[in-house]
Amino acid sequence: MQVTAIGTVTVMILLLGTVLFAQETLGRIGGNEIAKIEISAFMSDKASPADAKRLAAALKRDPRVKSVTYVPKAAGLRQMRDRLRGQIDTSLLTSNPLPDALRIRVVDPNAVHAVADVVRKMPNVANVEYQRDFVDRLLRLYDVMSKVSVAFIALLVITAAIIISNTIRLTVYARRREIAIMQLVGASGTYIRLPFICEGLLDGVIGAVLAVGLLAVGRWQLWPRLESALPFFPLQQADSNFGLFALQLLGVGALVGIVASWISVGRYLRT
Amino acid sequence: MIALRGVTLIYPNGTRALDGIDLEIAKGSFVFLVGHSGTGKSSLLRLLYREQRPTSGTVIVDGVEVDKLRRAKVPELRRKVGVVFQDFKLLLDKTIWENVAFALQVTGARTRDVMRQVPRVLDLVGMAHKSRVFPNELSGGEQQRAAIARALVNNPKILLCDEPTGNLDPVNTNEVVDLLHRINLKGTTVVVATHNALAVDRMRRRVIRLEHRQVLADDERGLYHGIESESRADGEDLALAARVRSGLGQDPILSE
Repeated sequence: MQVTAIGTVTVMILLLGTVLFAQETLGRIGGNEIAKIEISAFMSDKASPADAKRLAAALKRDPRVKSVTYVPKAAGLRQMRDRLRGQIDTSLLTSNPLPDALRIRVVDPNAVHAVADVVRKMPNVANVEYQRDFVDRLLRLYDVMSKVSVAFIALLVITAAIIISNTIRLTVYARRREIAIMQLVGASGTYIRLPFICEGLLDGVIGAVLAVGLLAVGRWQLWPRLESALPFFPLQQADSNFGLFALQLLGVGALVGIVASWISVGRYLRT
Repeated sequence: MIALRGVTLIYPNGTRALDGIDLEIAKGSFVFLVGHSGTGKSSLLRLLYREQRPTSGTVIVDGVEVDKLRRAKVPELRRKVGVVFQDFKLLLDKTIWENVAFALQVTGARTRDVMRQVPRVLDLVGMAHKSRVFPNELSGGEQQRAAIARALVNNPKILLCDEPTGNLDPVNTNEVVDLLHRINLKGTTVVVATHNALAVDRMRRRVIRLEHRQVLADDERGLYHGIESESRADGEDLALAARVRSGLGQDPILSE
């Protein structure tokens, strides 16, 4: 029974670690994409370069804005020529149809829409463009992904808690005479609970240690191989602190163990 | 020391155990609780150490309204109230010493106190020479004396005994009753629920008779079958009763 409890915690923490790791990796890949999202604000014809610069300065004061780049019409045309080279005959562009523009990047992708709206209402701004659909889809994907993983993790935690709780209940049952006598002679609830809580804690911690060990193997043995096998996929070595991550997982294991045993002993003591 | 006021106890399954009990037990007294099985003797005791809460009414033990006691305060009550059962409830994998020490240790007592208290109570119950023995190697009477030692090791003000002699032969019964008497003489309030007519009649102490979940009789120096049925009692009992009535009633144990 002890083995089952520890094994369940191991599986739970292992999956939890994997899910968190996957989330982080995907988040980083997505984050790279999102970081490229730009809002282009085109100035009206009447606006002078000075107007555009004033606007840029005002936007920079907005905490949601990461950077603002002023692109004068000449530079815009050069960039467009570069982008379209080989697709159309750029020599046909004899005059410059482009207005002056501001390229705005935001800190949090969720704020893209809000910032775009603010920019649109600013004076001398003729038009605002950004990849609205792409942003929406990416954000939705993120949302679904995090909800699914939260549900998944919750399920795992509950399963582990139930199994630990059952294990502890068996121990409690085996020692029910002793507990009854303890209660009879006036042992405090904490005194009676403590050994069982320790057992739950131990189950949780041992399970978590095993899982963290397996995760470490995955992190240093399997991941580099996966990276070299998929060179085209933008996987990046996790640069987060594995030690901290491991500590957090141990904490989760310990907490599940404590809570589960607390509940099962408590239920027995009340009856 | 102990007071019950209008106490009614109905178990969750609908069984009525006690019906409007009013009772006072003075500090330092020795009380027998008699009556047929199922008349509520054990239920009454269970109310006193808060194993059970009354459905209605008030239970006061040593100035504390036990029925209103919060769960966290129950251990405090249990240290003031020792309990002894018919089946001893000793831990079979612990020696007599360990069983008695266990009751102290679980209350967080210091080792020094354990080392002082355990020999004291074992000596009191006459079990000092059997302290290294396991319960199964002892007679019923010895086991019960060990259980009494365990109940006493916390220096309780009250000792509750639920059929303490139920599993014992007459010789052991007498020993245990004598022991309870000695404990009472040291100032502990003793309440004994029993079926044992011999023990009750020998002691001539207060007898509270329960019947149909109510107090039927409460005699200051009662007999197991009640004073009103003395005519049915045997000669020895009659003589004893006569002595009591004539004011010569002495404690039979002390006078022996």
